[in-house]
Amino acid sequence: MLRMTAASLAVAAMLVAPASALDATKGPHGEAATPAASVTLTPEQEARVKEGKFTAALSWHTTSDWSGAVGQGARDEFARLGIEVVGETDAGFDAARQKSDIETLLAKKPSVIVSLPVDPETAPEAYRPALAAGTKLMFVDNAPKGFVHGTDYIAISSADLSQMGTKAGQALAEKLGRKGNVGYIFHDADFYVTNQRDRAFKATIESFPDMKIVAEQGLADPARAEDIGNAFLAQNPNLDAIYVTWAEPAELVLAALRNAGNKNTKIVTLDLSEPLALDMVRDGNVAAIVADEAYAIGTTAARAAALGLLGEQVPPFLAVDAIAVTRDDVKEGWNRSLHRDPPASLGVE
Amino acid sequence: MSVQDTLRRLPLIGRLDPSAYVVYVGFLLILAVFAVVLRDDGFLTASNLLNIVQQTAPVTIMAIGMVYVLTAGEIDLSVGSVVAVSALTAAVVMREHHWVLGVAAGLGAGAVIGLINGALVAYGRLPSFLVTLATMGLLAGIARWMTNLQSVPVTDATFTGLFGSGSLFGVPSLVIWTVLAVAIGHYVYRETRFGAHVLATGDNPRAARAAGIKVDRLRLKVLVLGSMCAALAGLLYLGRIQGARYTLGETDLLTVIAAVIVGGTRLNGGTGTVVGALVGSLLMGMLNNGLILMGLAVSEQMIVRGLIILAAVALTLREPQR
Repeated sequence: MLRMTAASLAVAAMLVAPASALDATKGPHGEAATPAASVTLTPEQEARVKEGKFTAALSWHTTSDWSGAVGQGARDEFARLGIEVVGETDAGFDAARQKSDIETLLAKKPSVIVSLPVDPETAPEAYRPALAAGTKLMFVDNAPKGFVHGTDYIAISSADLSQMGTKAGQALAEKLGRKGNVGYIFHDADFYVTNQRDRAFKATIESFPDMKIVAEQGLADPARAEDIGNAFLAQNPNLDAIYVTWAEPAELVLAALRNAGNKNTKIVTLDLSEPLALDMVRDGNVAAIVADEAYAIGTTAARAAALGLLGEQVPPFLAVDAIAVTRDDVKEGWNRSLHRDPPASLGVE
Repeated sequence: MSVQDTLRRLPLIGRLDPSAYVVYVGFLLILAVFAVVLRDDGFLTASNLLNIVQQTAPVTIMAIGMVYVLTAGEIDLSVGSVVAVSALTAAVVMREHHWVLGVAAGLGAGAVIGLINGALVAYGRLPSFLVTLATMGLLAGIARWMTNLQSVPVTDATFTGLFGSGSLFGVPSLVIWTVLAVAIGHYVYRETRFGAHVLATGDNPRAARAAGIKVDRLRLKVLVLGSMCAALAGLLYLGRIQGARYTLGETDLLTVIAAVIVGGTRLNGGTGTVVGALVGSLLMGMLNNGLILMGLAVSEQMIVRGLIILAAVALTLREPQR
C-alpha cells in the first residue's frame, strides 16, 4: 500500500514537473548538464590509471555531513582506482583561507586537486598556483570565474541543483493537496548552490495556482532561523508550510514549531538530517527532505579526475540526481544520498 | 654588568617574563617535529616555508595592533569585520578611481571605525569588550549590505603587486609587509613614549593618570591603531586574492587573539610583545600547514591544533600560585 502511494506520488510529481530537471539545470556558466552516470572508465583506462601512480588532494569550502559524504565517495573511488589521497582541507567559507589551503596542498605535489571553490569570483587567484605547478583541477558544484573547461579544469561534478528545489516544491505540493500558504526562508548570501535551489523551489510553488508564498525572509546566520520561524508564525498563524533553505536552520524552525505547540505547519528542506528525519518518521511537522546523491558527486568527481589525468576529455557539467525523501523511503534515501544506512534512532532498518 | 642587565639590553628579550621564552622554544620544537615527520612531504622546502609567512601576513599585522590594544587593557573584537569592510571599500573605490584613493579609502574606513570604537570606550565610558562586540556585528552587516553580497574583483596590477601578490628583488610583498610591520610595531612599543604609556596604562590606569598620561586619549589611539592594522590586513587580503568578499577576515579574530596570547601578551593588560605576536602568528600558520601536509582528515586537524594551542597556552600563561 505504501509503495502504491509512493509510486502514485512519483507519477503525479512527473506530471506537474515543468520539464525534465536535467533540461532545466545548467552549470554555473550555462553548461548543459550531463548525467553523472555516463562518466565511466574502460578496464583498459582503469589499468592505465593504476599504473600512473597518481595522487589526489581534496580542498573543501567547509565541512559538513554533505561534504563528508562527497569526500568519502571521492576517497573510495580514488582508492578503487589506485590513486592515493595525500591531503584534505576545510576553508571554513573563507576565500583567503582556501587560497592558503591550495598553496599548502601543492607542497605535496598532487596530480589532481578535487575542490569546491568558496567564491568563484576570487577563486582564480587561489587555483592559479595549481595550474602553474601542473596539477590538474576537478571541481564540485562550481568553477573559478574565467577558467576554461578542458584546459584549466577537467569538469564540474554537481548535484542537480534546480531539480532539488523543484522536487522540494513538488513534494510539498503533494503533501498539502496542491493548495496552501507557504513561508519561504532562503539563503541570503551569494552562494550559487543554495541560490539555485531556493529559486527553483519558489518557481515551483508559484506554478501551482492555489499555492502562495505569504512570508519570505532571507537567512544569513543559520542560528537565527528559530527567530524567523517564530516571526512567521506570529504574523501568519495559518501558515501551512515553511520551506527552509537547508537542514541546519530547518532544525531550529522545527524547534520553534514545537515550542509553539504547532503540529499543523509542515516543513520542507534540503539535505538529510537525523533530527528532521526522526520527526518525519514520527509523522511530525517535517513533510519531506530533498537530498542529492552526495556520495555519487564524490565518486563522479574521482572518476572524471582519473579520466582527466589520462588526458581524456570529460563533459563540462556532470549532474547527479536529486531525491525527495518522505517517511516511506527514509532508508532508501539515506543509502542513495550518503551511501550508508540511516541512523538507528529512526527505526527504519 | 650582570647577565640580567645584558639580557635587558637585548632588544628582543628585554622586559619579558621568562615564561614568554616558551613560545620561541615551542615554535622551534614544533618546527623540528614537522621537519622530521614531514621530511618527505615538502614541509621544509623554501617555497612552503615562504608560503607560511605569506599566508600569516594579514593575521600577523592584526596581531601587532592587538598587542597594543590588549597591553592597554582593552580588547577589539571587531578586527575581523573591519577586514571585510576595508577590503570592500577599497575595492569599490578602485572600480572608478586610482588605486591610491582605494588604499586611502580602505585605511580611512579602518580609522573611522577605530575612532567610533575608541570614542565610545574612552569618552562614553563603555567596556571595549561590549563596544567592539556590537560593532563586530554591525560591521559584518554593513559588509554584507555594501555590495549586496557580491564579490568585487580588483585588477589594478600595481595595487595587487604592492599588496599581496607581487615581490621585490625576489622577496614576496607580503613578507616585506610583515617585516616592516613587526619592525615598526616593535620599535614603537619598546622605544617610544607612546609605547611606554600604553604599557603604563594597561598595568595600572590610575597610576598612569596620576603620572600625567592622558589615559582616555591613549585608549582612543590604541583602538584606532588596532582598527587600522585590521584595515591594512584587509588590503593585503584584497591584493592577495585580487578581490574582496564579505566573508574576508570573518574567522580571523580567534586566530589573532590566540597568536597574541601564545606569543606572551597578557589578556588583561600591562605586558606584551610584538615579536612574540609574530612568532605566535607563525606558529598558528605552521600548525595549519603541517597538519594538512600530514594528510590528517579535517576533524583530526582541528583536534590536534586545539591540543597544541592548549599546551602552548598552558606553558606560556600559567600564573604563579595565588
